[in-house]
Amino acid sequence: MSHKPTITDSLQFPADSKIPRILLIVGAVGLLATAIGFATDLEQSLYSYLVSFVFFTGIGLASVFMVMFHHITKSKWGVVVRRIPEVFGGNLKWWTLAFLPILGGMTVLYHHWTDPTLFDPNSPNFDYIVAGKEAYLNVPFFIIRQIIYFAIWGYIGHKLYKASIELEKTGDWGITSLMRKISAPAIPLFGLSVAFASFDWLMSLDPHWFSTMFGVYFFAISFQSFWAIMILMVFFLQSRGLLKNTIGQAHIYDLGAWLFAFTVFYAYIAFSQFLLIYYANLPEETLWYYHRLEGSWKFIAYGLLIFRFVLPFLVLLNREQKHRPNVLKFVAVVVVVMHYLEIYWIAMPLLSEHGIHFTWIDLTSFIGLGGIFFWLFFKKFQENSMIPENDPKLDACLEKTYHQ
Amino acid sequence: MSTTESKSLYGILAEFKNPKALVDASEKVVEAGYDKFDTYTPYPIHGIDKAMKLPKSKLGYIVFGHALLGFSGAIAMMYWMSVIDYPLNISGKPFFNAPAWVPITFELTVLLSAFGAVFGMFFLNGLPRLNNPLFEVERFKKATDDGFFVCIEAKDSKFQEDLVRQLFEEAGATHIEEVYEQ
Repeated sequence: MSHKPTITDSLQFPADSKIPRILLIVGAVGLLATAIGFATDLEQSLYSYLVSFVFFTGIGLASVFMVMFHHITKSKWGVVVRRIPEVFGGNLKWWTLAFLPILGGMTVLYHHWTDPTLFDPNSPNFDYIVAGKEAYLNVPFFIIRQIIYFAIWGYIGHKLYKASIELEKTGDWGITSLMRKISAPAIPLFGLSVAFASFDWLMSLDPHWFSTMFGVYFFAISFQSFWAIMILMVFFLQSRGLLKNTIGQAHIYDLGAWLFAFTVFYAYIAFSQFLLIYYANLPEETLWYYHRLEGSWKFIAYGLLIFRFVLPFLVLLNREQKHRPNVLKFVAVVVVVMHYLEIYWIAMPLLSEHGIHFTWIDLTSFIGLGGIFFWLFFKKFQENSMIPENDPKLDACLEKTYHQ
Repeated sequence: MSTTESKSLYGILAEFKNPKALVDASEKVVEAGYDKFDTYTPYPIHGIDKAMKLPKSKLGYIVFGHALLGFSGAIAMMYWMSVIDYPLNISGKPFFNAPAWVPITFELTVLLSAFGAVFGMFFLNGLPRLNNPLFEVERFKKATDDGFFVCIEAKDSKFQEDLVRQLFEEAGATHIEEVYEQ
């Protein structure tokens, strides 16, 4: 009955591909332009940089989550696409460097709680609420926390990547249990560190406001857009003629189903956060949404409802749609764009209170960081096979077929 | 037994050795052009729906219809209650308080979808049905244990007893018998 599926594709990303070089140039030009922005308009540049940084970091973090869930559940559905998130995760250690501009500019970016006069009862600037949060919101502890986060992420991402490469090279199936042993304790570590990182990066921009579910909200937006990025990555590789027979309809269908599932999850989390604050109507909580529903910010708010939930939900509801390349690409692009706009909508109203105000620095920092992020990806992706060869569950994954 | 003469034929039942033989037999039955037939097995068999060339289930559309009904029903109910019939000012929020209505709208959408799924499934399966002529066949009890059956119904436009028997024999049935309406 069972026969070993054979792989007809070449599994090596072409070594002479121009893609990494192009991405490096694009990224370097983007970052240089952003540097000019830093010299001319520091506060605007820091905000723009933060939005793009959170966008790409979120995708890297969601990648590691996916790899850990895949290991811990002994899944076989995604073995053929697992190398992509593994590489994203393996690059997190280098991505730490991208955080340095934010660390350097933190007294500007987070001046709502880094200004020492806020904590001085004799100063006219004294802020009773922020002073009450001093134990958490202070510069040394902020820096210590960032070191802890990036140490956890860099280490786990690197470990899981390395283990997978070693399994490929040696064919030692015992390494799968090592991967599970790394993943099991790393999932709660990741959950906590990602939640606290989102408090630090985005929530503390407005230190009066708090939402206890902001951490899971950040996970939800990142994880939803991660699946969209995965779909786009797979179609990009296939458009270059790579892995065309290895990643089949069944695997693409699964990615579509994940995108659909986490579209619903996103809507549930984002709406839960909104509803409780809206209904309780406490001034210190409601103001945050009030600012984001006034002026032109409300267009993004309603846009999120329509383009990040209603449209993907209705389009992907029918299972036929979940494997149609053009439908998936369209939904994935919409979700990725909305993901950027959502982070923008979270961070930017602090800078321009009364409406959307795009600047060229938003664009250059996105292109710069994006170029570097994907340059790092393709550089690492070239080094080894594009799928985890010798994985014990690879055959089972390849055998998967799509049926009515 | 002269009484059998008066009973009308319900169909012809064939038993097969194992799931593989059953899947192959279903393919032959489809190939021969029969469409009023069904297979009976103790557990779900992977690929049997494909072998039987079953069309995609219409259940999804039934569920979607119910979901729309639940969605609009919930909105209509709450609109009637809190805007028309008994408007109450609750902490200065508008009567048409869309965010606060979402949980109930969601619940009713899900509730009616679930009803649509369960009862729609009953409807598409022709349930509830209190008896089936197959239950009179002593051998058919094996369908809940270790028997793999195909039954072509006499209603089928192509049904001809001898041809059906011949088909089952060629397909490798271990046992063939007629089933009569009670």
